[in-house]
Amino acid sequence: MTRTGPNRLVSLMVDNLIWLFVIGAFVAFSLLSDRFLSPYNLGNILLRSAAFGMLVLSQAYTFITGNFDLSVESSLGLTAMFAALMLVTSEAGGWGWQLNPILVIVLMLVLGGAIGLFNGVLITKVGVNNLLVTIAMLFVLRGATYGISPGTSISFFPKEFTWLGGGTLARVVTDNGNFVLSVAGVFVILAFLVGHIHTRYTQFGRNMYAVGADADAARAAGINVDRVVIIVYIIAGVCAAFAGLLQAGRLNAATPTMGANLIFAVHGAAIIGGMSIYGGRGNIIGAFGGVLLWSILDTGLNIMGVSPFWIDVSRGLLLLFAVLLDALRVRYQHNVQVRMSLADTTIGLEDKAHGDG
Amino acid sequence: MAEATTVGRKDEILLDMRGISKSYPGVQALADADFSVRRGEIHGVVGKNGAGKSTLMGVLMGIRQADSGSIAIDGRALRQASPQMMLDAGISYVPQHISLLNTLTVAENILVGNLPRNRFGLVDWKAVNEDSQARLERLGLELDVRQPVEGLSVAERTMLAIAKALFNNARLIILDEPTAALSRVDIDLLFSFVRAQQEQGVAFIYISHHLEEVFEICDRVTVMRDGRIVGTREISEIDVPELIHLMVGGGVQEYQRASTAGAEIVFEAKNLSRRGAYEQINFALRRGEVVGLSGLQGSGVDELAQALFGLERLGVGEALVEGGAFDPGSPRDAFDAGVAYLPQDRHRFGLIQLRPVRENVTYSVLDRLVGRLGVLMRKPEQQITETYIDKLGIVTPGAEQRTMLLSGGNQQKVVFAKLAATQPKVLILHEPTQGVDVQAKVDIFNIIDDLAAGGVALLVISSEVRELIGLCDRILVMYQGRVTDEFTRAADNMKPEHILLAIEGGRGHANA
Repeated sequence: MTRTGPNRLVSLMVDNLIWLFVIGAFVAFSLLSDRFLSPYNLGNILLRSAAFGMLVLSQAYTFITGNFDLSVESSLGLTAMFAALMLVTSEAGGWGWQLNPILVIVLMLVLGGAIGLFNGVLITKVGVNNLLVTIAMLFVLRGATYGISPGTSISFFPKEFTWLGGGTLARVVTDNGNFVLSVAGVFVILAFLVGHIHTRYTQFGRNMYAVGADADAARAAGINVDRVVIIVYIIAGVCAAFAGLLQAGRLNAATPTMGANLIFAVHGAAIIGGMSIYGGRGNIIGAFGGVLLWSILDTGLNIMGVSPFWIDVSRGLLLLFAVLLDALRVRYQHNVQVRMSLADTTIGLEDKAHGDG
Repeated sequence: MAEATTVGRKDEILLDMRGISKSYPGVQALADADFSVRRGEIHGVVGKNGAGKSTLMGVLMGIRQADSGSIAIDGRALRQASPQMMLDAGISYVPQHISLLNTLTVAENILVGNLPRNRFGLVDWKAVNEDSQARLERLGLELDVRQPVEGLSVAERTMLAIAKALFNNARLIILDEPTAALSRVDIDLLFSFVRAQQEQGVAFIYISHHLEEVFEICDRVTVMRDGRIVGTREISEIDVPELIHLMVGGGVQEYQRASTAGAEIVFEAKNLSRRGAYEQINFALRRGEVVGLSGLQGSGVDELAQALFGLERLGVGEALVEGGAFDPGSPRDAFDAGVAYLPQDRHRFGLIQLRPVRENVTYSVLDRLVGRLGVLMRKPEQQITETYIDKLGIVTPGAEQRTMLLSGGNQQKVVFAKLAATQPKVLILHEPTQGVDVQAKVDIFNIIDDLAAGGVALLVISSEVRELIGLCDRILVMYQGRVTDEFTRAADNMKPEHILLAIEGGRGHANA
C-alpha cells in the first residue's frame, strides 16, 4: 500500500515552493511593467542567465552531496580566458594559435573537469575541508586568469565558437518586437533536464542523495562515498567550463574579471530553488526555478528602473528569506529525528555519549 | 572547601530518592525506585542496558522529570529540580566520554569563566597557573597545569573532571563507566584518587558493566532490572554469581527458536587477529545456523563485527565465505561476497533518515535495477520495496515516507529489509533489538527465524543474553580480545548466569 501521508504533502509543498515564487514574480512584473512581457525580454531572460545557470547547476550537484565549490566562478573566468587566448590572433591579444574552436571547447571542458578532480581528491582523499580547498582554488584560478590575460579584454572569436553562447536557433517576428530562441537558452534547459534525470533516476544520482543525507550510512550501505564526491566535483568543474564558454560566446569577448563575485548569487539561486548546503535535499529542477526567479527579479527590477543598489538589496533579502526557509526546514526535520530517537531509546545519557564519539 | 566539614559523618544518608517512577510512551523506564547514597560512600549501580540506570541518573541530575516520587538531599526535599538546582545541591556527573576544553590548558579548564585578572583587566596568567596548581595539590592530583588537556591520558582527564566537580562543591559525583577505556594501571590510578576523595567525605555513584571493579571499589551496590531496583546490598554480603542472578532475574524463557542449522559451513574465521582489537579468533557458521556473540565493551566484539563488514581492516589470519577467501576492504566488498551487517547504531549507519523507505530498502541492490541508459527501473524497485514492507510488517503510510518518521522498531525493520534484499549468505546482526518495543522485538525474532530457515547463516551480537539463549544454536563469548567460551544448545549449557559470568571474564561452565 502506498498512499501520500500529510508529511509527504507538506514536504512536497516546501520542496517546490520555488515555482510559486517564480509564477508570482512573473505575474507581478507583468502587471507592474508593460515592457516586461515583451517577446524580446522573454527571450533575453534565458539567454542572459545561461552562464549563471550552468554555475547553479554545478552547485546543485555539489549541494546534493552536502558539498559546495566556491571556485567555479574562477573556473568560469579561467576557461573563458584560456579559450580566448587559444582562439584569436596575436594582434587581437591572443597567443596566435587560432586553434580549431571545437578542439578548444573540448580542451576547456577537460580543464574544468581536471580542476574539479583536483578539488574532489583533495577533499575526499586528503581530507581537507571543502570550504578551504575551494576558497584557495578560487584565488589560484582567478590569479592565473589575470596572469595569462594580456590585461585587456580579448574579442573577435570565430563564429563556430560563439554559436554556443550567442547563437540563435529561431527568431519569431511580432509587432511587439522579436522573440529570439537562443542556443544558450535551449542548452541550459537541456543541461538541467539531463541533470534532473541523472540525479533523480540513475544509481549514481541515488547515491549522491544518500551521500549528502548521511555519508556514514551511505558507506555502510555499500556506496563508495569518495568516488561519488570526486565525480560530482568533476561534473561541477565541467559545468563551470560550459559557463565560461557560454559567457565568452555571448559577449564575444573574454575579460579577466568574468564571473568574479558571482558565487554567492549562484548559491543564493540554488538555495532559493530548494537546494540545501546540508545535502540530501532538493532537486535539480527546483534549482532551475531558482535561476529563473533570480533573473526575472533582475530583469524585472531593471526594466522598472530600480537602482542597481536596490536590486542588490532585493537579492540579499531574497537570499536571506531562502536561507531562513532552509533553516526552518532543517530544524523541523531535526526535531522529528530527535523525538524519534528519544522515544525509542528511552535513555538519554548513552545517546549523548554516542554524540561525542 | 565543603568536604572538611563532612568528615566523620559517614553512614548518614546524603541522597534519598523514594518511589521514583518515569514512563515514556510505551515504556515504563522507572517503576517505584527507592535509592539512597550515604555520605562518603562509593555506591555501585549495575544492570543491563535499558535496565533504567540512565533514567534514574537523569532524574537525579534534573535532566529528566520523574512522574512521581521524591528526592531529598541532606534531608532537604527538592521538587521539580532543574539541572542547575541539582548542581547547586552538589550533584555532579562525569560522563564516559569526558567533555573538557581540549585545546586549552589544564589551568584554563579549571578556572574557565573565572580567570584571575591583573589591575589592567588582563588575564593574570601567573595567578592562573599558581592558583590551579594549588587547587589540584589540595586534592592530591599531580598534573602539569600548563599542559593542554588533549595531552592528558583518559584517566587523567577523568580525574580532572572529578576535580572540577569538587571545585564546584560537588558532594556526590556520578561516574558513568569511567574505566571502559582504561588500562589496569590507569584504573589503579583512578581508583586511588577516588578513594582519596572518599576519605574526605565525597560520595560517588559508580555505574559500570565491569562487575569485578564494582567489587573492588564500591561499598554498596544497587541492582536494576527492567526499570526496577531489585536490590541494594553491602558489597561484603554479596558475591558475583548472586549479583548476576539479581541482574538477569529468574523469569521464564519468553522465546525459543527451533534450530534450522544445516551441515554445510558457510563462513569460517581462522586465527583472525588484529593488534589491539582481537586475537586468534576461530569459529564457523553453518547454513541456517544462528550463533550468538557476546562480550563487554573492549572485548573485541565490536571491532570484529565492523572488520567482518569491511568498515575496519580484518588484520592477519583468514576468513572464508563458502570456502572462498574473504577480506573486505569496504562494505561494498562485503555485500558482494554475500556478507551483510546490521549496525548497532542504526541512526548513524543503518539508515539514511532523510530519504524515503523505498530508497533505503534498495540502496544496496541498485546494481540489479539499472535499466536502459542507466535509468533505474521503477517498477521492480517498487516491487522489492512493497514485498519487504509486507513480509516484515513494516508499519508506514507508504514506501515514500521518510524513514526518520517511522518508529524505532519499524526503522529497524527497514534496515532488515535492506539487508535481506541483498540476499546475503551471512548476516551479522549487531544489537538487533536495541531500542525497539516488545512487539517489534518479537517481530524481529521471527524475521531472524525466517532468514535462518531460508539458509542464511546469522551471527547475532548482543548483550541481551536471555534473547541470545532464545535465538541461538550456539553462543560464543569474547573477553579481552579472545573467544573464551562457547555455550551450545546441544550441550544444554546455555544458562544466563554462566554466560554472564563468562562475559565478565570468569570461567563459564561450558569448558569447566
